[in-house]
Amino acid sequence: MKNLLELMGIEADRIHFSWISSAESTKFVKVVNEITAKVKALGPNQRFVKQAAKVA
Amino acid sequence: MSTYTEKIREISQRLLKECKVEMVIGFRQGTLPMMNEPCIVRKPEEVERLVWDSNCGINLANYLTNRKEKIGVVAKGCDSRNIVTHILENKIKREQLVIIGVPCQGMIDKRKIAAGVQGEILSVAEADGEVTVQTAAGAQTFKKAEVLQQNCSVCTHRNPVIHDEMVAEPVAEQTGVDPYADVAAIEAMSAEERWKFFEELLAPCIRCYACRNACPLCYCPTCFVDESKPQWVGKGQDPIDVRTFHFLRAYHCAGRCTDCGACERACPVGINMRLLTKKLNKDCLALYGWEAGLAEDKRPALDTYKANDPENFIH
Amino acid sequence: MKVIKIDKNQWSQGLEQLRNAFRLFGPVGNGKASSIQELAPGQAPDLTFANTRLSPKNLVFPQSEVMLNYSLDPDDPERNILKEAPKDYAPRAVIGMRPCDAKALSLVKMNFDTDQYQDPYWLNLYNATTFVGLACDAPASTCFCTTAGCGPYHEEGLDVLLVSQKDGYLAKPLTDKGDQLLKAAGWSQAADADKVIADAKAAAEARIVSKVESDSLRAADTMALYGAPFWEDISFACLNCGTCTFSCPTCWCFDIQDEAYRKKGVRIRNWDSCMFPIFTVHTTGHNPRDTKLQRVRQRFMHKLKYFVDKYDQGIMCVGCGRCVRQCPVNIDIRRVSAMMNSMASAAQCAVGGK
Repeated sequence: MKNLLELMGIEADRIHFSWISSAESTKFVKVVNEITAKVKALGPNQRFVKQAAKVA
Repeated sequence: MSTYTEKIREISQRLLKECKVEMVIGFRQGTLPMMNEPCIVRKPEEVERLVWDSNCGINLANYLTNRKEKIGVVAKGCDSRNIVTHILENKIKREQLVIIGVPCQGMIDKRKIAAGVQGEILSVAEADGEVTVQTAAGAQTFKKAEVLQQNCSVCTHRNPVIHDEMVAEPVAEQTGVDPYADVAAIEAMSAEERWKFFEELLAPCIRCYACRNACPLCYCPTCFVDESKPQWVGKGQDPIDVRTFHFLRAYHCAGRCTDCGACERACPVGINMRLLTKKLNKDCLALYGWEAGLAEDKRPALDTYKANDPENFIH
Repeated sequence: MKVIKIDKNQWSQGLEQLRNAFRLFGPVGNGKASSIQELAPGQAPDLTFANTRLSPKNLVFPQSEVMLNYSLDPDDPERNILKEAPKDYAPRAVIGMRPCDAKALSLVKMNFDTDQYQDPYWLNLYNATTFVGLACDAPASTCFCTTAGCGPYHEEGLDVLLVSQKDGYLAKPLTDKGDQLLKAAGWSQAADADKVIADAKAAAEARIVSKVESDSLRAADTMALYGAPFWEDISFACLNCGTCTFSCPTCWCFDIQDEAYRKKGVRIRNWDSCMFPIFTVHTTGHNPRDTKLQRVRQRFMHKLKYFVDKYDQGIMCVGCGRCVRQCPVNIDIRRVSAMMNSMASAAQCAVGGK
């Protein structure tokens, strides 16, 4: 799914998968921080967002 | 008349006469050049309707879904792979089928022919690897290899993978083709270019769903775009809704698509939505060494877990 | 109203002049197919086209159209009140649509403009538009307009009929609207061309080689056709896609949807298709037209029998041939109509022979 979204023009750093056990609180914090930093660096997403129907 | 046609009729007649099958699903001559119509034949004396030429691109596995009869089905390479997929997914039983295998040399892309001539096409004939097109202005001849559907030109499974009858000796499989050059070209673009590329590709879509409905994989009783409780996607022409349909439909075909080309062929506005499914085919091959529909005794890649499945997408 | 002659050198000049009073639309090709689009300043309609791939019905009946807006903002005193969506109903002119597509508009009008109900969206766009048709001198082999109550020079539904000539066009005004458009363009050179047009018309009609057989359908027994044995054969190949209905100039069905985004909502109508299973699904989940056979039968029975009976204006088809050309599995309305018609005429012969 990540690959197909990337093919369609969604930036790679917007989609993240991770495997974190409920016991791994430090890993959870670390991953979330990494992800938010990457997404913030990209700025607000403009693609694949429907604010209102663009129709006649 | 092609020898394939004669042989298909002969086999079908025998199967019907001997009550091996209740019906044969094949093609009959269309009313337009380069168009044949899928049809059922139920009586031995009706087999004269059946034809075979390079305009049988519709995938007949699509017509088998959930049928209960004993059926003879004419199948080229890709059809047979979709029949295998149907069997694996419990959409038809192997015992119900007598598969009349057709070694395939590719189907003609009517849009390529239309783009190559001036004016309306009045008739099209093929012989010895050449296709002769008659227009009001005169006749024009193409090499068949140059006017094949794109998926056929890079096909490496032309011979049926399962069959009970064969209408001819297997044909040589193509080697040295790169099926995924078109996907690689898109992968090489920037994210913005890719977004724009698909925006333009999908702009003409009228959401007639011919691609979905021509696809043997798309047999859900209610497609996600048609659900109203909950409604997953808007039903109008908003470009994001249109893209959502194409993206998710492709995704639902992951690890199942045989690139038979029925979707693109069926599209009334000529969209190559195969680029999406092909990306998934390409990844399935690279990640899992999987191509859909090649064996009845292997579970699909996305259906099984192996300890060595690649997981580098996980942080 | 007199026929007007438009010389080649007056053509683009007149079109530019029309832009003062009209938004202009016309056929535009992209090398593969053409469609009716709004013409940019300086852009001329491509009148050398075969017919457009899709019908121009979206000019008055967009595939997706916002009807009403509403607010969902709890602080808005007018929330939940449906309001007319603002639209541009300024005068528009379509230059070069085919007579078959114009005739289709007049068939569709029977549905959108009745004594009981006048559809404001369709009618506002229709009334805002002046339809300039281009007589069709090069029909496709799949065109069967002359047996579908239409023809290559058919005037119904048009305001002006253009006839292509070596050195320009002959323009036949058919309504006041059409007359005014010609005046607005500054085209005023009267021509005595009735005979020229009549000859060209006869020649064009002779070029229509394909036909639809429907003469016995009016008198046919509806239930006999409905229960005919041929529907399985006809419907087997059908994919139940919407290609035929969406490309058809006379198909008018739509579905109404609400879409809400945070504090705003819109009520939209979208084309719908009797080929789609969900077209007839009831809220209970029951679908009275649950099978492909039923849906395919419905489409052909509506076009070729129910419509004929209800309006007595012939079949609901103008012979443009789009469904024939575009159907992915080659289901051909000419073949279906012939089967229905021959069943009907055989039944009538049997009655007559008693």
